[in-house]
Amino acid sequence: MRGPGFASAARPAFPMRVTGPILFLILVVAAGRVPAAQTSTATLNASVNSVARLSLSSAALTFPDADPDTVPSVQASQGPITVTAKARTSPNGAITLTVRATDDLRSGVNTIPASNITWVASGAGFGNGTLSATTAQAVATWTGSGVRTGTQNFFFRNVWSYATGTYTLTITYTLSAA
Amino acid sequence: MRRLLSFLALLFFASSPALAQTLTLSLSPTVITFPSSDPDTVPLISAPPVQITYRIRANGNSPWSLTVLAAGDLIAGASRIDISNVTWVATPAPPFQNGTLSKTVAQRVASGNGNVNPDTLGSITFRLANSWTYNPGSYTQTVLFTLSAP
Repeated sequence: MRGPGFASAARPAFPMRVTGPILFLILVVAAGRVPAAQTSTATLNASVNSVARLSLSSAALTFPDADPDTVPSVQASQGPITVTAKARTSPNGAITLTVRATDDLRSGVNTIPASNITWVASGAGFGNGTLSATTAQAVATWTGSGVRTGTQNFFFRNVWSYATGTYTLTITYTLSAA
Repeated sequence: MRRLLSFLALLFFASSPALAQTLTLSLSPTVITFPSSDPDTVPLISAPPVQITYRIRANGNSPWSLTVLAAGDLIAGASRIDISNVTWVATPAPPFQNGTLSKTVAQRVASGNGNVNPDTLGSITFRLANSWTYNPGSYTQTVLFTLSAP
């Protein structure tokens, strides 16, 4: 026969029935101190294509009549034209700007070689040059994408041997990116 | 003793708004695409709007916030576009706000207090500053949205 003292010594300090609430409380305390967060991921995609744009401050150049002795080199009346070249290319890709005359200067049957027109340039990448009706001439070269601006100041070589008349020609600019 | 512990648990539960917070967040679409455009004609490229669905429960009167963090710059091989060139316009305001992406600090997209229940919608439109200086390529990067309640 067991006495009261024996029964009391056999019981644990806390009955197993209260272990659940204790653990619950511990979990609750832990959960209450952790910030809640929910995340979601998105992907950004951007397509960048090659593109180039060229603009000139003037689409016409006029060389006024002048005495060859007093004005051997006639400047275009528009003054320097501003050239703006915009292009996207690979990190080390070359961008070139060229100009070519479609023909010599013509006035009816009379002609003046296009090479009598020259230019003096300013701006990074720009260079001086002479027009040609047969070969595209380099105006500027750059490396990499960007916007570049420079000027071309055109001059007409004035000589006594020209036949009188109103001469015209067309020049074509080409901006290309490798 | 059991009753006492249960009472304490219940008391703690009732007094702690962060206790049973339930936050849900979803985006649609999850792929955001900026089409190629001429920088002169389209200086700011807009991607299609992204719908944000969010819900915040059991938050009491505590604050909540939605942030976004880019994993890096936009990258295409060796070329990159700084992620700060990507901005966003978000509605409705409040709780949403406009901002600029960062790869170092999570930027707040929306914030408020208390619960947002049931599911609530927001809209965010990302914009890429277009430039002639970018190199051609297909750029990509991931951004992480985080809805949190302290």
